[in-house]
Amino acid sequence: MAKADISVKILRFQPEKDKKPHWQVYAIAVDDESTILDVLNEIHWQHDGTLAYRRSCRSSICGSCAMKVNGRNVLACETPIHRFGSKLKIEPLSGFNIIKDLVVDLEPFFEKLKRIKPYLILDKPLPDKEYVQSPEQLEQIGESTLCILCAACSAACPSSWPNQDYLGPAALLKAYRFIFDSRDDGADDRLEIVNDKNGIWRCHTIFNCMEACPKKIKITEYLSRLKVKVVENSL
Amino acid sequence: MEKNFKQTSRSGSMAWLLQRISAVILFVLLLFHFIVYHFLTQSRSVDYLQVMKRAQSWWFPLLQFMFLLTALYHGLNGVWSVLEDYTTSKFWRLVWYSLLLTVGTILLFVGTLTIIKLYTLKIA
Repeated sequence: MAKADISVKILRFQPEKDKKPHWQVYAIAVDDESTILDVLNEIHWQHDGTLAYRRSCRSSICGSCAMKVNGRNVLACETPIHRFGSKLKIEPLSGFNIIKDLVVDLEPFFEKLKRIKPYLILDKPLPDKEYVQSPEQLEQIGESTLCILCAACSAACPSSWPNQDYLGPAALLKAYRFIFDSRDDGADDRLEIVNDKNGIWRCHTIFNCMEACPKKIKITEYLSRLKVKVVENSL
Repeated sequence: MEKNFKQTSRSGSMAWLLQRISAVILFVLLLFHFIVYHFLTQSRSVDYLQVMKRAQSWWFPLLQFMFLLTALYHGLNGVWSVLEDYTTSKFWRLVWYSLLLTVGTILLFVGTLTIIKLYTLKIA
């Protein structure tokens, strides 16, 4: 692997000494096949141990390392640096309070998720064996179950930025995932929750969520199906 | 905890549905407009008398009024949903809503007057 000289501009915020975030530039040499996470590790381990960021699985499964790189929300662990060239500009996700450097407070994100009851609600007695779903029934929710809750979509949604009361695409996608699940009995409850000015109706089909999703989930399409379902239910 | 998703007790389902319905109506009306004004009359020159004759046929004011109503609803409802996104204070929402309502009423009044005037104008 060849070495590449890159310039990395990172938005830093250390609450114990900074009043507001500021940019810091690092000039480093890394393998040209490195990922953004490799770059951050290199800075953290070899240049500046005070840099804070989240990481865990390194396999784009845990959703910990979502951040904004050159204006795009990505998972640091799966994004190669050659996608952006030799100049990187790394920021925390928009729309969330910064705890430190690239670490944002995701508490509101998970609280919103809890509001739509992100678990299977069952009224009927449990079957003796597993629930049977047809391939068609699974197809309806299949892709939406791939969400890893990285918050890249909610952070990319312009409707979320000015209005902290909006549920946001991730919670709404989770609502879709359970409302359209053939095994679930809690659809009416969830439809009532999302049928709100700060629920599904704050979504204006901007498609930013879909563009930002590292799992390539067609979020906007599912939210549109959810809108139709809510209207059918309320007519 | 509750503040992270403030339920408003207001559903937006009807506004969303009406926005879609008005979009479909506008699309059909625009199509009709283009066909009548730009294709059917393209090959021949149109004079004042022909335009006024069309404007005073029974279907013209009806279509124009429908156009006016749906375009006003669609446009103002669209602007309102954007303003609602970016304005969270109740006071400013009321101010914007009142302003849109006033603009809508004035435009509806002026538009309706124009349609009536065209329909009732004596052709020399």
